[in-house]
Amino acid sequence: MRATVFIGITLLAGIICGLILGGTNLVVTEPFIDQAIDIEIQNAIVEGENIGSIQEITKYRIWQKGGQVLAASILGLSLGSLFALVYAFAWPSIPGSNGIKKGLFLAAIIWFTIFLIPFLKYPANPPTVGDPETIFYRQSLYLVFMAASGLGALVLAFLYKKLNNKKSRKFIVPVLYGAYISAIFVMMPPNPDLITTPMDLINNFRIASALTITLFWFLLGAIFGVLWDKFKPYRKVTSKL
Amino acid sequence: MSTVQVTIESVSVPTFVLGILSAVFLFGMFIVGYDQGHLFNVVVGEQAFDDLYLHELYHDLRHVSGFPCH
Ligand SMILES: [Zn+2]
Repeated sequence: MRATVFIGITLLAGIICGLILGGTNLVVTEPFIDQAIDIEIQNAIVEGENIGSIQEITKYRIWQKGGQVLAASILGLSLGSLFALVYAFAWPSIPGSNGIKKGLFLAAIIWFTIFLIPFLKYPANPPTVGDPETIFYRQSLYLVFMAASGLGALVLAFLYKKLNNKKSRKFIVPVLYGAYISAIFVMMPPNPDLITTPMDLINNFRIASALTITLFWFLLGAIFGVLWDKFKPYRKVTSKL
Repeated sequence: MSTVQVTIESVSVPTFVLGILSAVFLFGMFIVGYDQGHLFNVVVGEQAFDDLYLHELYHDLRHVSGFPCH
């Protein structure tokens, strides 16, 4: 494998999708974050807290929104690296006749196991919902659940390769994953925070954020697949005398 | 003398590539999902935990990507 080409297309796909994620969020999810922060500011005023001037808050929000695009590119590079590694290791076994099809297939699996499943158990929340006192606990729950789902899928992918009966493994492996993740889903404690923010706002935020992250994953699968086919990092041409 | 072009196809990922990309993955996840000021602490000291400069920078995305926040 040509290592620099592989790393190059990985980082390129990651940053492109990260920037698109950040840009989409500015339009799609930021309005809900703004609404949530307005509620937060109103609550702070009612409780008599010193919140600073409107100008300060506006400046602060611009910093946060710009940061959001930067953070999205970091997330893009990060998840893109994970995606590319799994893609390269699993490439011969991923179903699909070309890079894009394989990319979309793998993106669907990773999206499902490390985004959708954790999202169903611990859905995203806009600002104002979380209690700062429980942040470490909530982060631990999310990490454990995401890791349990992702690693479970990884182990089952190896099992899938090991099983020789091509018909039955297509049935056995998803059922095993379903049973495994359902058990963990039920066992894991719920998010401890009480929701006092209007449910409308929270639901809109959740839909918007889930859409942008879903878009990100499938775009990553497609773009990485295109780059993989175009630059063929697995192919090395050498000249011999 | 003539040269022969040989095409080798291999998907085996070299260990150093695995190392680099795993590091990018873990570092990014930590920054976006978990950091509460630890990273800037190295540069500006204790102040980082109070000001949460970096935290504020990736704050909105942390909410969007589903990681727990406030
Ligand atoms: Zn927050």
